[in-house]
Amino acid sequence: MTIDHKRLLAEIEEEVRRKRESGDLPPHLERELDIVFARYAPVRALDGDFDQVLTRAEQATFIDVLAPTASSRPVIPHVKRVLRKSVVWIFRYVAQQASGFNEAIARAVRLLGTRVDALEEATGTRSIAPLVAGDGTATMPDAEHWLPVLVDALRDVQGRVLHVECGSGELVRALVNKGVDAYGVHAEGAPADAELDIRIDGVMEHLGKVPAGALAGIVLSGCVDRFPKAALLRLADQAVARLAPGGVLAVVGTDPVAWERDRSPVEVDLGAGRPLHAATWAHLLVERGLHAPAVHDGPRRRPADVPDGLGEWGARIDTLLFPPASFGVVASRPR
Amino acid sequence: MKALHQFVATFEPGATGAHMLELQRLARDVLGVESELFAEYRRGPHAERVRHHRDYKARPGDVLVYHMAIGSVVADFVADRDLPLVVDFHNITPAHFIEPWEPGAAYGCAWGRNQLRDLAARADLGVAHSGYSEEELRREGFPDTAVAPILLDLSTFDTEVDAEALARLHDGKKGADWLFVGRLSPNKCQHDLVKALAVYRRLYDPHARLHLVGGSSSDAYVAAVEGFAAELGLADAVTLAGSVTPGELAAHYRAADVFVCVSDHEGFCVPLVEAMWNRVPVIAYAAAAVPETLDDGGVLLPAKDAATVAAAVDRVLADRGPVVEAGTRRLADFSLERTRTRWVELLQQVPE
Repeated sequence: MTIDHKRLLAEIEEEVRRKRESGDLPPHLERELDIVFARYAPVRALDGDFDQVLTRAEQATFIDVLAPTASSRPVIPHVKRVLRKSVVWIFRYVAQQASGFNEAIARAVRLLGTRVDALEEATGTRSIAPLVAGDGTATMPDAEHWLPVLVDALRDVQGRVLHVECGSGELVRALVNKGVDAYGVHAEGAPADAELDIRIDGVMEHLGKVPAGALAGIVLSGCVDRFPKAALLRLADQAVARLAPGGVLAVVGTDPVAWERDRSPVEVDLGAGRPLHAATWAHLLVERGLHAPAVHDGPRRRPADVPDGLGEWGARIDTLLFPPASFGVVASRPR
Repeated sequence: MKALHQFVATFEPGATGAHMLELQRLARDVLGVESELFAEYRRGPHAERVRHHRDYKARPGDVLVYHMAIGSVVADFVADRDLPLVVDFHNITPAHFIEPWEPGAAYGCAWGRNQLRDLAARADLGVAHSGYSEEELRREGFPDTAVAPILLDLSTFDTEVDAEALARLHDGKKGADWLFVGRLSPNKCQHDLVKALAVYRRLYDPHARLHLVGGSSSDAYVAAVEGFAAELGLADAVTLAGSVTPGELAAHYRAADVFVCVSDHEGFCVPLVEAMWNRVPVIAYAAAAVPETLDDGGVLLPAKDAATVAAAVDRVLADRGPVVEAGTRRLADFSLERTRTRWVELLQQVPE
């Protein structure tokens, strides 16, 4: 008897999907377990969760002056109680000042956090909204071109696949139809399909909830076209960290030249963020330990009112003037 | 080579200690050379066979083997001897796992990393117990590296089961018993096992229990795992057995339905081999050296979210046979005959 490892993992994934779909496994259960454990972890282990760290710091500002008096030996509890009673007024005097100081510091840090939040809002590094609102569904340029490419790249991965900014879930559906355990996240307002596992959540917020190395595949689209540079670097960090060994990360974005061409000058000039080039994404992914990034060009979109048939030079001019409007970068994490 | 002497920071019972004793036997019986053990600290039943490292007197023809797992003055001591040196790398837990919980212990890990870099320039050969660890040696600058499995005498697993301990483990058993053996340490992620058990009890088996065997490398982490289990209402279902005798360990393997490992970092993970030897099906998260040690001897999970682990346990317990048999087959690769042959090959390559 041998183990058919691939089949076994497929059965396990299928079982997890069934449990999620049936509601036996509520979407927030695992996150709730993480939150409970975080209460027991030292503050230094609460990586990146500012609110949680600050809450723990605020809880720690209180200094209890009533030392425990229990003991397994007789008489000792009584002695401890007498000692405590005789010195507690000193400790209380000191503790009140120390607690007051700690509370002031915690309050100052809380206010500082609020001001940093406001700064992030203002600079677009936190709340990243497009200057021109879209309909919330068109999250992937040239989607009809990229769907089969992405399905092909992800159909054999072992584990969950996340589509970040999945819109109405076309890619999620296509992957599920191929037997992949796929789900998506999208900002509030996206049309939800009850049959698909599509969560309403922010990109960074959701990735922050996913355990390190938990995903076999991640597709980034939509947000990669409008996040500011700092947020894109953070996005790359977060996505790579969530990828399991052997996992596949795909980025589908709008080519910067096409992006500028298709937008108003006001949006181009004042928008908080803009897309990166395909080569830049490939560089970022390699820099973060992924290997063999494959860069794919999207289809060329030649405006209908531009005449064709100018020969070889015309074709070259076309290449310069009308580069592919989108690109895909697919890389994998070494096992 | 006239002698093969081994050095370690602390000689104590466990995988590294047993490996050193086997290597000493191999040097004396197969290579026919002198072989002594040296350490700064010595503990356990074989401590009297080990001398303090400062008692070592260098002689021409000696080859030194340094067992590296943490920072130690012994590393500097061996590096200073003008003799052929083999670094046997048992891997060092990355400090970032330990630092938030035990800042003091993290220092030893970081110190070890620095010493490893220094030893790279000095060593004639770096030996790792997995390709994963060998890659680390290369990254630290070792010019010559090789992989050789840890020397394990599988017959030592054949210990008499502690009947009382077994009876205690069977007492109150109504569901599946999960087992993990290893120090309670943040890198071994016992808290993730508690999470997975919570989900498993909710979805499949409300009477399932988790037995965690092993000493602690962080009191803060032990308290967190205990508090976490208690808050989830699992205080009676999660047992922290601590360090146990060989008979008690055998009882735990005998009573276990499944061995589950979700460690983020393991340099080799001998308990995987113990579980296979005890015919307990193994499910493990594919991290660090675990995929190499387990190979096809159990179920390797690409992710370790609680739902996946719970579903994997449910699936394996529905049909344990193939996984148990796979583990038994895998054991052959760790037979002392094979691993000794590999070590002899390596040691004969060391320049005099």
